[in-house]
Amino acid sequence: MKKAFQYIILFLAPLLGAGGAAGQVCDCFIQGIVQDDATKQPIIGAVVLIKELNKGVSTDAKGFYRISNICQGKYTVIGRIVGYEEKNYTINLEHGAEQNIKLSETELHLANIDIKAQKIENLTQTKSTLENAALDQTRGQSLGEALKQISGVTTLQTGSSIAKPVIHGMHSNRVLIMNNGVRQEGQQWGSEHAPEIDPFVAKKITVLKGAAGVRYGSDAIAGVIMLEPEALPDSTTIGGEINSVYFTNGNQTANAGILEGGVRKLGKTSQIPYSIGYRIQGTYKRGGDISTPNYRLANTGIQEINYSLSVDYKRKNWISEVFFSQFNTKIAVFSGSHIGNVSDLIEAIKRGTPLSIYTPEKFTYAIDRPYQDVQHNLLKVKNTLKNRYGVLSLTLGRQYDFRKEVDILRGDRNLTQLFKLTTYSSELIFEHKPFLKLLTGSIGINSLYQENLTTGTLTEPRSSTVLIPNFKNFTNGLFLIERIVRNNWEIESGFRYDIRHLNVYRIPRGGQIVVNNTQNNQNFTGTLGANYRPNARWNFMANASSAWRAATVNELYSDGVHHGAASFERGDENLVPEVALNLSFTTNYVSKNFQAELHLYNNYINNFIFLSPTGRPALTIRGAFPEFIYTQTDSRFQGFDLNGIVQIIKHLSLNSKISYLKAQDLSNNQPLIQIPANRWENTIRYDWKKTSVSLTNLYVAKQNRVPTKIIFSDIPSSEIIFTEYGGDFAPPPAAYSLWSASASQQFSINAKQSLNISLTISNLFNTTYRDYLNRFRYFADEIGRNMVFRAKYSF
Amino acid sequence: MATKRKQRHIALLSLLISATLFTVSCKDEEVDAEEENELITTVKLNFSSGGTTQSFKYSDPDGDGGKAPTVDAISLKPNTTYTLTVEVLDESKMPVSNITEEVKEESDEHLFVYTPTPSSLLTYTYGDKDANNFGIGLTGNAKTNTAGTGKLKVQLRHQPPINGKATKDGTPTPGSDDINIDFNVTVQ
Repeated sequence: MKKAFQYIILFLAPLLGAGGAAGQVCDCFIQGIVQDDATKQPIIGAVVLIKELNKGVSTDAKGFYRISNICQGKYTVIGRIVGYEEKNYTINLEHGAEQNIKLSETELHLANIDIKAQKIENLTQTKSTLENAALDQTRGQSLGEALKQISGVTTLQTGSSIAKPVIHGMHSNRVLIMNNGVRQEGQQWGSEHAPEIDPFVAKKITVLKGAAGVRYGSDAIAGVIMLEPEALPDSTTIGGEINSVYFTNGNQTANAGILEGGVRKLGKTSQIPYSIGYRIQGTYKRGGDISTPNYRLANTGIQEINYSLSVDYKRKNWISEVFFSQFNTKIAVFSGSHIGNVSDLIEAIKRGTPLSIYTPEKFTYAIDRPYQDVQHNLLKVKNTLKNRYGVLSLTLGRQYDFRKEVDILRGDRNLTQLFKLTTYSSELIFEHKPFLKLLTGSIGINSLYQENLTTGTLTEPRSSTVLIPNFKNFTNGLFLIERIVRNNWEIESGFRYDIRHLNVYRIPRGGQIVVNNTQNNQNFTGTLGANYRPNARWNFMANASSAWRAATVNELYSDGVHHGAASFERGDENLVPEVALNLSFTTNYVSKNFQAELHLYNNYINNFIFLSPTGRPALTIRGAFPEFIYTQTDSRFQGFDLNGIVQIIKHLSLNSKISYLKAQDLSNNQPLIQIPANRWENTIRYDWKKTSVSLTNLYVAKQNRVPTKIIFSDIPSSEIIFTEYGGDFAPPPAAYSLWSASASQQFSINAKQSLNISLTISNLFNTTYRDYLNRFRYFADEIGRNMVFRAKYSF
Repeated sequence: MATKRKQRHIALLSLLISATLFTVSCKDEEVDAEEENELITTVKLNFSSGGTTQSFKYSDPDGDGGKAPTVDAISLKPNTTYTLTVEVLDESKMPVSNITEEVKEESDEHLFVYTPTPSSLLTYTYGDKDANNFGIGLTGNAKTNTAGTGKLKVQLRHQPPINGKATKDGTPTPGSDDINIDFNVTVQ
């Protein structure tokens, strides 16, 4: 079952530019089997690492590993897994090498009970990972921006500081984020609410594409983003990392540090040995007004202070882990984006460039109104117990999300919107040992309770003018995933049952009395997948998975003007849950000078909930707003991601990525709104020893597939006045082509210390462009040239 | 034996610690009423001439959505000069909150704009000035011409400073609409 995983890593590492290649010929590989020295049994899930390249894989179900695309040279290969002594081998690599690794059990048997999500998650589904050098190249950027490196992932933006990840055209509540094993619960329903996560916490970011409702529960319609820190150390050595990043555009700086260490106690006669590991991590980020190629945008700064602490305790068959993180950000929202009503917006669109008052000459770090002020706390406690039947783990999480959206208002005392969301979650999983030497799998129970507060107290709201009402939400899920591994085949299947109970306390518009609405939903989801690897070159994966999502409170009860979006949004209490069925097929091919991956997907979503224009004006004292209603339709998201890497000549490679997506409203037979345009990215890369230089071109096509008609048949045509652009305010922007260049150099100070420096210039030619999925596209250009200096010191 | 008991001990202890950590923060939270958003429900235009004052109201007491607003039709005499004052209220609050006062206090970032259609219907002249000598529009003169019907658009432009730099320049262009309403006008 590890095969798939290993292969993806093998395949994607070079694509994403992970691992600095060195030497002359870079098509060498190392492969072999990791086995227990005493029993000669293969060891599954052992990590095999090339020390010099920091490139690693884990062994598959047969203990097999293969690391390819390595340059000629002398390397240290490390084999390790908790519970065994680490082993080093030195290899002189000329072409390919076979290196079997024999590990012996340690006296201190810290059994392998560090079960990462990857072991029990869906392994017949396509996954892309951002780690090592590829992740380093995104340091300082927001999570959404960083994930753009992965094909099929784009962003939904509000200016350049707020970016939400979009997977295969879907975002917000349809993309689940697992932050260190805990389901992230913020105010993700809002299109201008970026994930409340500091990417510096993660050492590895994985994107699972497609519906993954069985393992992760409701909402995983488009995919799952998993952020994982490195495992805590169990040695007494103190280590760490310092990252420093400077962006010329906006004079933004980001500094982040990690310090980690541990305590290890070897057992005397009667005592049980144990170890303790800890890590302290912190980030400070500050940026001022950013510039487009032709003007600076007033009030577009950002400030972020984050930290996290983690400690674990391991002994024999037991691991306890505590993790706490706090994320604080203050994000200025471009002054020129403050829209009073639709005529303000139309004036701004007509003007083309923002008024000079919104494009000052003078740079400032100051954050003025409007701005967002967000805090997110996460506390996680995880206990894992291993016995002869399997591994049992309990993860408890508490999250507190406090969001303040401060608008331009009279006086200084008024705040626009306040959201306080408290979430308690628990996950109990039992991963059983192979049954009849055939079946492995896991069974789990998830529970989640949350309270959202926007006015008064939970059951006694005081105001009817809040954007979303107070609510409490309770969900429970039970799942079972089993898999069979045969020679070249792996088959995986799973089922899940979820119930959800939502209690809403609100004062309807113009009313005085509190209304309590309840919603009960339940659903079955399933997954079935297969992975076939006929030989070392090819790998095929096919998967059918389902996921569901109950309507969120904003979709049910919105009733008012969406500030800044110039729209009047109405919810619909009668919305039923949407259900996705995702069919995907992935092929990998790896050869000496060529590698490719093709991922085809077809995601059907029944009762897809979306905001659709009615064409009617909603009259308010602030003027007229086009009315939008949350409605449902059957939809289909169909597309492919194609990645290819060709070694042209020595040291020089070409990497090409294509993302194509067609999203259709099947009931109304027209395209869906706000779907990212198709794109094609090409990178030429030159690697020599520890130096790497690359040039990238990104071409983003114009989105020609936009809706053209109003879908509400019960609205008389005499009432419809906003019909131009199918209910949008302007046609999609033109296609654009962006260039970027990057150079990086690695220095080894000694065995333990290293320094990486890099320079990246994005939007090299200061191209003026606008993106269809940026809310500011109506009135402002995208960010101009940006030079980024990065330094990373590891010790 | 001893280790097993000890192990169970630890398991119990960690569960206990987890439970404590998770219940500690279970106090009844609330969001303060004073943090709530401002709401404009009513705009009142007072036309005075020769000692008599006529008031016309645009009123949407339940805010955006809900019931449709009620709008008085303005009826004026031809060729008359009226003193026009405006009141902005939030009638959803008890007591009624007078937003006119706040506009007056921050007059250097507010501008009322009166646009008659057709433009021959009446002529508006500002009767007040802010600290920078730009009109405000809380008080002014509206002079009607010959008899006719049309509309009067009343806008309150909110033009707050950006990083300490004033944006109000006497024109409606900067800022955004806080009020944008139309009255039907008959001059007869």
